[in-house]
Amino acid sequence: MNRRVLIGAIAAATALAVVPKRARANPKKIRPPGALKPGAFEQACIGCFRCAEVCPTNCIRFPSVFSLDQATPFIDTADKACVLCMKCTQVCPTDALVPLKADPDVIAKEVRMGVPVLERSKCLPWNGQGICRLCYQVCPYPEAAVELVGPQKAPLFHPEACVGCGLCEEACPELAQAIRIFPFGSEEAAPKPLQKKGAKKSGGGA
Amino acid sequence: MTKRALQPLDITLRHGRRYQWIRRLFLGFSVALTFVLPLWHLHALDVEGAGLAADSRWAKVAEVMPNTPPPFYGAPTSVWVGVLELVDPLESLAVALFHGLSWNWVWTVLPGVVLVVLLGRFFCGWACPYLPILAAANAARWLLTRLGVPLADVKVPRSTSRVVMVGALVIGALAGTQLVPLIYPPAIVGREVFRAVFYGSLGAGALVVLGAFLFDTFVSRAGFCRSLCPGGAMFSVLANLSPLRVHNERSKCTDCTVCDVVCNLGQSPMTNTLDSGCERCGKCIASCPTQALSWSVAAPPLVQLVTLRVEGVEQKAAGAKAR
Repeated sequence: MNRRVLIGAIAAATALAVVPKRARANPKKIRPPGALKPGAFEQACIGCFRCAEVCPTNCIRFPSVFSLDQATPFIDTADKACVLCMKCTQVCPTDALVPLKADPDVIAKEVRMGVPVLERSKCLPWNGQGICRLCYQVCPYPEAAVELVGPQKAPLFHPEACVGCGLCEEACPELAQAIRIFPFGSEEAAPKPLQKKGAKKSGGGA
Repeated sequence: MTKRALQPLDITLRHGRRYQWIRRLFLGFSVALTFVLPLWHLHALDVEGAGLAADSRWAKVAEVMPNTPPPFYGAPTSVWVGVLELVDPLESLAVALFHGLSWNWVWTVLPGVVLVVLLGRFFCGWACPYLPILAAANAARWLLTRLGVPLADVKVPRSTSRVVMVGALVIGALAGTQLVPLIYPPAIVGREVFRAVFYGSLGAGALVVLGAFLFDTFVSRAGFCRSLCPGGAMFSVLANLSPLRVHNERSKCTDCTVCDVVCNLGQSPMTNTLDSGCERCGKCIASCPTQALSWSVAAPPLVQLVTLRVEGVEQKAAGAKAR
């Protein structure tokens, strides 16, 4: 008995020493709709894959590399966007995704997957290069989340009304990729002057 | 010719064939489900008109699936079976550590726990999708030994799995994430199969399973299941309440050790000292040449343990030897 306790204590101490603070799960990722807050979600998700299993657009992915959040789903909006069917929320066994009805009002109220950040220097209408408006056309909440302003009908995003589904990002012409959805808490999503961020981002983004 | 240790594959399962066949059928069903469900779901999405199956290299294979929606959702450690939600007790516990108890949690964990309390650690012997990999490891051991390759069989203490279990919970709590799904083979296998079918690639979890296979092959026979698996440890803890056990009729027993050898989980039916780690595979009963072993209903290990403590030194010593 004593030896067992000792082994356990040593293992626990080693674990404490080995897991560095940086490795602690604090991933800034876009989670499926209805997800608990960052942190709480990683604590509730058991990686059973059910959300991805029912996702009709296959937008729910799992990381493939070794990491602490290897078993938690995320959405890569640049590749595939969420169509807000809410099926994933209904199959989650641990309520890491809180069950939601696929009702526009419910979704508008409850779902906040990420923050839209428009880089105006890349956006065609903002640069007078055309009247693209793709983001506006695909947005499930036009006028509320994105409205068209000015003579060029340039898009203006309202993060407070945006659910973060990423349909705009998916639709944005590849060359421009002006609108991107960033996860909450990420540097890019913070409400700061967009100009500087844009300049920094353009290096790695393109 | 050198003498080599008896291995499970050397042992014929003579008796209780029906039990073995039922177990194999159930296991086959469970494992098949692990592989078929992803395909079925992929096809269901395709039928729905999502049109994403074309992206997967398994699209052609998935076409053989029925057009009706699959009756089950989920991976081996969390299955939605029509009306029942079966979630692995350890993963449920890990979630409850963070988020406390809720009615939803109770409903998801209850059916699984009731099954384990009644039947013991049956998941490990009847349903775990890692079992085919373990069988492959055992076969590899048998073959390599035949070819004269010396293989280690380190007897890692079985209590190590409890350390792993508690460690995964504690470190997970410190790191603020769920660690069990990262190191628990059935969870990994289920996820990786899904990943392979849906995205056409394997993730890092496959390496963990590969590591477990190599460990079982070269280091310790069935060592992962017996001594390291955190989920198995949780089942063992719960199975302390299970009244089912293998009884050895000592008058028939010839002490041939066949039952002890055939057991993957290091139990000793020969000395009549099974504990909660029994996976209910029934191979010991099937292998016994003199049919001395049989299923019986007895006081659960926990009750026995308490009784032993109370009854005195002699039996306490016997109980300790059983460990």
